[in-house]
Amino acid sequence: MALRFEELIERHHDEIFAYVWRLLASDRSSDRKTEAEDLVQEVYLRAYRSFSRLRANTNHRAWLYKIATNCAYSRLRQIQGGRGKAAALANLAAVSGNAGDTLASHRQTGQPLRYLVNQLPAKQKACVTLRYLQDLDYPEIAQALGCSQESARANVYQAIRRLRLALEEKR
Amino acid sequence: MKTRIPKTDHAVVKQLRAALGDPAPLALGRSRVRLTKWLTDEAPLIQWGEMSSPLGKLYAAMSGRGLCAVDFGRGEAEFLERFDPRARLEKNPKSVERVIAQLSEYFAGKRSRFDLPVDLSTLTPFQKTVLEVTCRIAPGEVWTYHRVAEVMRRPHSSRPVGQALARNPVPIVIPCHRVIASDGALRGYSGGSGLKAKRWLLELEGAFA
Repeated sequence: MALRFEELIERHHDEIFAYVWRLLASDRSSDRKTEAEDLVQEVYLRAYRSFSRLRANTNHRAWLYKIATNCAYSRLRQIQGGRGKAAALANLAAVSGNAGDTLASHRQTGQPLRYLVNQLPAKQKACVTLRYLQDLDYPEIAQALGCSQESARANVYQAIRRLRLALEEKR
Repeated sequence: MKTRIPKTDHAVVKQLRAALGDPAPLALGRSRVRLTKWLTDEAPLIQWGEMSSPLGKLYAAMSGRGLCAVDFGRGEAEFLERFDPRARLEKNPKSVERVIAQLSEYFAGKRSRFDLPVDLSTLTPFQKTVLEVTCRIAPGEVWTYHRVAEVMRRPHSSRPVGQALARNPVPIVIPCHRVIASDGALRGYSGGSGLKAKRWLLELEGAFA
């Protein structure tokens, strides 16, 4: 029997929430839980609109991740844009919401890797999160990010390499 | 699925998992409740029930507008597959009580017409007109596809009439079985066991008498 929309919530809600929550880890200025909740709602709203047009052989999990990735990055761009404007208004001299977001401050809080992950290029961060935290396989990552499997593998490899080198450098 | 990680990167991945962490169960629960509530408001509700009939197990479903599906001689899964995948399906015998009561009377030969609101919103205007015209055929009577087309003032549309009848979502209630070919052949029937069911219904109504 074809998958029903209700099942899409039952099966994938928790992992999609965790995914957007992790992608939003770089947003330190707002309430991440509420932000993630709003984003998950947005993801499912978009999914609902196009659900009946999906082909029978669609991988629903990868499809949801694709929507979630697009929603999360749109939101992050908005947040960063907003911050940029706020900083410009304050003539860059005042303390911006992002000013404390440095490696030193994260060292103090014991979370240097979180800082390093947030410094990764967007695609590398998404790839490494999908692979090692969301447990997607490479064909699914490729579908979710609209790239080839080779590109997904390369991005995961580069992300891990960068993180390893950064951690070694830190010692 | 188990993730295979190269030995050298094991520590990095371990730290990565610790750094990005997991959302709190409370946050997950809150989001899930919000999403479920949204779907309840957004998605159409289809309530359905079933009955035993001389034509095999018969299923009926109601939307907010009225009776939207009748099917028989098929399995439950096949019946439910016909609905919009976004709709919320709920088995609720009470919702189809009136439909089942009238169908039982029909099968017992005590009723020949139905008094039920019918939801034809998934059909085109042409298909709706065909079904409306079909409702004018008296029990025990049969019309040809050509006659239905003529009544619609579309005399060359016998074939589209047949196609529209095949899309009838509520067979028996809208008596598409009362339409046959010009040469007297039963031609086609999409309900239950096909032509066998069509013949059975026409016999029940005394069309061959």
